[in-house]
Amino acid sequence: MLLASLLVASFVIFGALYLAPGNPISALSGGRALPPASLRVLEQRYHLNQPFLAQYWYWLENALHGNFGVSITLQENVSSVIAARMWTTGGLVLYAALIILVVGIGSGVLAALRPGLADTSVLVSTAISAALPSFVAAILLITLFSVKLGWFPALGNGTSFASNIRHFTLPAVALAISSLAIVARVTRAAVREEADREHVQTAVSRGIPARQLIRRHILRNAAIPITTVSGITIASLIAVAAVVETAFSLNGLGAYLVQAAESKDLAVVQGISLVLVTAFVLINALVDVLYAALDPRVSLGSRAQ
Amino acid sequence: MSPRRRISAAAPLLAAVLAATGLLTAACGRSLGAGASSQQVSPTKGLVTTTPAGTTPVASVTWAVYRPVNSLDPIFAFDYPENTAISLMCESLLHQAPDGSIQPGLATVVTPSPTTMVFTLRPGVKFWDGNPVTPADVVYSLDRQMEPSYGGFYGGVFSRVKSIAATGADQVTITLNQPDYWLEGELSSIPGVIIQKSYAVKEGTNYGTPAGGIMCTGPYEFKSWTAGAGVTAVANPHYWNPAVKPLVRQIIIKGVSSAASFTSGMLTGAIQGSYYSGLSNLSEFEHSSTVRVYQGPGEETDALVVSATTGPLASVKVRQALSLALDRQAIISQVYDGAAVMPRWLANPGTFGYGQSVFTKAYDSSPVLIQNLAQARKLVREAGVTGQTITIGTSSEIASIAAETGAYQQAAEAIGLKVVLKSVSAADYINFFTSAQARAGIDGFITVNYGDYADPAALLATFALPGGDQNYDNFSNPQMTALLNQAEGTANPDARAALVAKAEELATKLLPWIPDVQPTSVLFLSKGLTGAVASFSYMFAPWADNLGGTR
Repeated sequence: MLLASLLVASFVIFGALYLAPGNPISALSGGRALPPASLRVLEQRYHLNQPFLAQYWYWLENALHGNFGVSITLQENVSSVIAARMWTTGGLVLYAALIILVVGIGSGVLAALRPGLADTSVLVSTAISAALPSFVAAILLITLFSVKLGWFPALGNGTSFASNIRHFTLPAVALAISSLAIVARVTRAAVREEADREHVQTAVSRGIPARQLIRRHILRNAAIPITTVSGITIASLIAVAAVVETAFSLNGLGAYLVQAAESKDLAVVQGISLVLVTAFVLINALVDVLYAALDPRVSLGSRAQ
Repeated sequence: MSPRRRISAAAPLLAAVLAATGLLTAACGRSLGAGASSQQVSPTKGLVTTTPAGTTPVASVTWAVYRPVNSLDPIFAFDYPENTAISLMCESLLHQAPDGSIQPGLATVVTPSPTTMVFTLRPGVKFWDGNPVTPADVVYSLDRQMEPSYGGFYGGVFSRVKSIAATGADQVTITLNQPDYWLEGELSSIPGVIIQKSYAVKEGTNYGTPAGGIMCTGPYEFKSWTAGAGVTAVANPHYWNPAVKPLVRQIIIKGVSSAASFTSGMLTGAIQGSYYSGLSNLSEFEHSSTVRVYQGPGEETDALVVSATTGPLASVKVRQALSLALDRQAIISQVYDGAAVMPRWLANPGTFGYGQSVFTKAYDSSPVLIQNLAQARKLVREAGVTGQTITIGTSSEIASIAAETGAYQQAAEAIGLKVVLKSVSAADYINFFTSAQARAGIDGFITVNYGDYADPAALLATFALPGGDQNYDNFSNPQMTALLNQAEGTANPDARAALVAKAEELATKLLPWIPDVQPTSVLFLSKGLTGAVASFSYMFAPWADNLGGTR
């Protein structure tokens, strides 16, 4: 399943980039007219003078042997380009996911169970944050918390774990903010729905303590839609991360993917895309596993894989 | 001889968002812009070539470039990030001083005959590892630039070179097929960077990459290059030139791809210095208590490349009319936020690296290219092209280019011409320069272009000589060709300057390209930091020799 996705994705991406106008050598030379002899040397070095299928096959064959090629612009192995940047994107998405899960689900549950002021303020704030695209959120956050207040750094990755956390806080919030609202809304609706169910009313009438009621009878049942929406939004963060990484000058995979695509650095685009596709598939697989754990009626074996 | 151009796509885009939302703008007026415009006619007023030398040690400086550095190999260095990093650490055979003049670098030069250049290495010059620079290193470094099998970008620079050979214990001789007094300029720039032969041979194609590193001679030595953290250089305690004592313990060259990110990074102190160019929100820094902005002489020309071989723009009169109709002050204030001056020639006055008095005198007697619509309309009528169409290539994704294209559209329509815009993506804009197919049907497009060293001819030759790299409209004028060829073979700097000045005056009449504005070089420094070179020569020669703290 994963391998098939990767193979199809790699071919489609390779083809799309191949068909797009421009060529990596002119991107490399900044449009400077190169001596024809130099041009020939460079084209040969990167196999650019070969037909499309030959180029793709060359890439695929190497990739199957664990060699993802060399970046034309950086002259560096694609695997080391990815390794150096993977933790930035991974950490950022993880941090944002944590914020979405804790704050999103937390505020959703709160709003569902505490009608009145709490509910209204969650509704209003999620209405605003749902409409806030990441790049606008990034600018707002930088302006307020870095430039005006000076609480958080405006850019960069940080060097130690503690400074990583400080550097990643604003980007993670910018990344999480609109998805967070969606998760909060869905949580609120799901919890409301479960709370109104007969078995919950029965449990209330039997005098089951509120804590136990919420945990076992409401949240457990509401967990399925919450897991679905959380899974989808968190998987989508992988793609949105590119925007946030650029805004905060984080050296992540997404930001570099954009740059590599602009300079038609095929091997890098391929490598990074495949990592992102893998992560996407894995997150979705994880969500499937969670379904099974949450709901005994769902068994993994019966699902068409 | 060898021009490059800036097409930084992402930065202006976010800057535009920023400006539109007005979020970072602390409600300050654009005092660098329209208000100060009357003074911008004077090209060098208020410009500084250097900043006062630093006096105290500094632990670490983060220096921003508009995107991460791709290569530290001088044969692949053509753009701002690579040049900034290489010129921080490496030195050339000759040296381009901040005022653009050519000085001895690692070697001194004499020319016993018009076709012979003899370089003598200065005593004591050595690489970071302590080994002396030898003639073999020099021959290797230049051969590497010249030899096509390395795939380098500068081969054309050496077109008149017959041979390069070691001719003594500290001597290298270049023999030319015909006199080439432009070569000294090139050798004071990136094509003249000297690297260690044994190191480069050992690293092979890894030289200048994160895996291979580099071996040069400068006051800052290469320490590390990690994809995330940028290129780190540290002070070289054994620098061969005792006159220079590097004060900054480490300098990190970091790619910052968005103008918004750069602005907030600079304002919050996450970035301490930069030569970030083309910012349309420069005035935001004006009232900052943490950042100082200097403007120095620039060497770039912002121009409309003429690629029309037929149609209205192929006519000199129409080009003159369009030039007269262009509102250049608007470009200075809106695109450059004041960091550009009105042109008199196609060349930026910051390129007067030799024969300065000759150049300055000729330049000052040439008229400023101010707007004159009446005159422009008259020319269009004379040419009989009223109502005809010009097609301009542009990219709506690159804010500066879109704005300048808009200015041309306005100018053309004001004088009775029609304009069709052909917009491409930011990434594809480069194809106008490299692909005849992309240029098909396009009459012109905007560029910011510069030569390899301070000489007006360095850029002019690329588009005003037949066969020039950027001569897209097959421009050919016998007088122009004669002037430039004669200049290349003229030893005396003043005599050469006089010839080049004549060529520039001619170019300003014939307009093989139409000059828009002349950008200044912009230097950002955190308060407490001083000593960086402020002129555009930072692109070609060490710029942090005097960088340090203030008391």
